[in-house]
Amino acid sequence: MDELRRFARELLLKKEVAAVIGYEQVGEARTRPVVITDPDECRRLVLNEYCLNNLVVYLNRARIKALARSKEGIRKLAVVAKPCDIRSIVALIQENQIRRENLMILSMNCHGVVRDFGCEFNGDNLAAKCISCNTQSSTYADKSFGEVREIPKFTGKLEYDLSEIEQLPPSKRMEFFREQFDKCIKCYACRAVCPLCYCQRCITDKTIPRWIESSSHSRGNFAWNIVRALHLSGRCTGCGECERACPMDIPLSLLNRKMAMKSKELFGYESGKSTDNPTLVGSYDQKDSDELFM
Amino acid sequence: MTEEKLILKEDLLRICDDVIKKGDTLLAPGKSEYVIVKDVSEIKLDPEALPTKISFKSYVFPKSEPVLYYKRSKNDVTLIDADVNGRKIVVLGAKPCDTGSIDIMKDLFNWDYRDEFFNLRAKHFIMIGMMCKTHDEYCFCTSVGCSPVSENGSDLFLIPLSDKEFALRIVTEKGREFIEPYFRFLCDADTKRTEEVLSAAKNPETAFDPDEVHEWLGRNFESPKWDGIGEVCLSCAQCAFACPVCHCFDIVDEDYSYSEGRRMKNWDGCQFGHFTLHASGHNPRDIQSKRYRQRINHKFRYYVDKFGKILCTGCGRCSRGCPVSIDIKEIVSNCKD
Ligand code: SF4
Ligand code: SF4
Ligand code: SF4
Repeated sequence: MDELRRFARELLLKKEVAAVIGYEQVGEARTRPVVITDPDECRRLVLNEYCLNNLVVYLNRARIKALARSKEGIRKLAVVAKPCDIRSIVALIQENQIRRENLMILSMNCHGVVRDFGCEFNGDNLAAKCISCNTQSSTYADKSFGEVREIPKFTGKLEYDLSEIEQLPPSKRMEFFREQFDKCIKCYACRAVCPLCYCQRCITDKTIPRWIESSSHSRGNFAWNIVRALHLSGRCTGCGECERACPMDIPLSLLNRKMAMKSKELFGYESGKSTDNPTLVGSYDQKDSDELFM
Repeated sequence: MTEEKLILKEDLLRICDDVIKKGDTLLAPGKSEYVIVKDVSEIKLDPEALPTKISFKSYVFPKSEPVLYYKRSKNDVTLIDADVNGRKIVVLGAKPCDTGSIDIMKDLFNWDYRDEFFNLRAKHFIMIGMMCKTHDEYCFCTSVGCSPVSENGSDLFLIPLSDKEFALRIVTEKGREFIEPYFRFLCDADTKRTEEVLSAAKNPETAFDPDEVHEWLGRNFESPKWDGIGEVCLSCAQCAFACPVCHCFDIVDEDYSYSEGRRMKNWDGCQFGHFTLHASGHNPRDIQSKRYRQRINHKFRYYVDKFGKILCTGCGRCSRGCPVSIDIKEIVSNCKD
């Protein structure tokens, strides 16, 4: 942690970066994203199991991009990212949203995070995405901080089992998701935290014509949640932020994971793995399966 | 005048059972929201539970509801009134930071236009509040004129004396009417014990003085303090939709076909970028810092000026649930020089 603070401070002092986006501690079991431009403020930075947010979401925000713009041209932004968050960076680079050369990636060597703020860090409260993580440190980052330690063995219980839901007959599956989506209040927290939901104007906000009803009734909710899942198919990198942010406890990751599995199974594609590949939805190969053609 | 009685938990549950059997809606705090109780065995009545993730607001001000239906013919439009559902709703074990919420919103919904939908639902609410015996770092009811023992907004108020007994206070006429048929379940109060329990309430420390905040906000519309918040906030509406008293809504027409449709009233949130977007393309609150400034000003200044009430009950939901951990208590406490 001290190393990160020192390093980030140097970056700002030497004006190598315009800002450092990192985490600060707020309370015992919670951190908050922080955007630092004053080198002395780097003492606020922390790295721990409570660094839940995927800070990559900020890289595409107009306010943050504006920080990087100066008379001399674009300056770099430094971002603290867990190895799994770095996959979102890769995906954004593939989609031409950000450029690698404008970034300084400060990675944390990770041993898992808690499923939500306020929980004690142990096997019971390990975040679902960390259970099968195999990217505890990143080679893509400019610099990594902290030591690689073992991820605690997961001893908790997941509320929903994707394979069980896959087994359900279609009508039951529909019923399950309809019930879940009915809970949605259209707060769009899931969209706000997602680094890949970067459209200037989301399709749900378009009014002429209105594609997705803004009303939060069954039909409107269903349309929104399905559109969200489809627009993230082959793109979602599985950071799980949408599900954590959802105030109504809707298991949004189930659909994201299913779509990621399908992308892999049908096209051998994993989002956020390498900037050398074109994106899945932006490329076509004659050998591609037509199973998904409508 | 508040009258106090004593009631055993099992008798309270009997009353609840009767409410359910009669076909009225019984709401109680569940895991993350207030849920409709189908069987009394689901009732927990836990004074140590923190506020649910969202309040019971949607039962008085639904997240989405039709306000009228329309039919178009060649030269005419016919309007058909929407049916307002004014069924009785009994809220059991509401937190003191929730019980007052309807009264706070009532002023807005009866300001220049009387909102029948809200009023009718509110009229049919029976609020059974319960003393709160917990708080976390996000609670600040005591800073906004509420408290863990506040009966404000309750028709009946429960004070847990033990696992099995409650003191029951009859706070309003509406509460009396509700409980009268069940008077046989009520015993004489043990006011001494009640007082003991009440005085042992764990008040969250007061974090700020709302009058000072009000005054500071008036002088600091352009304060640079708003900028920092604007950088971190992601502009969702978790805070507004979880809030027991945020009440903004949008009116949209939904066409089923060329000739038929309905007009909907849907929750809206002032942190959304398009909330104030004009048809011209101009947006007076074009950046997030201006939107957050609006949120705080509306709650702690404008609403106070207009209706004499703070638009916040101190429940801390918005902070607890904020995906980027923005803490309203911290921000409002910093509204000083
Ligand atoms: S998935 Fe891996 S890299 Fe991501 S938080 Fe969990 S352990 Fe860390
Ligand atoms: S975060 Fe949850 S409640 Fe909010 S819009 Fe997304 S799915 Fe709906
Ligand atoms: S503003 Fe926040 S703390 Fe105040 S009543 Fe609303 S949700 Fe509760």
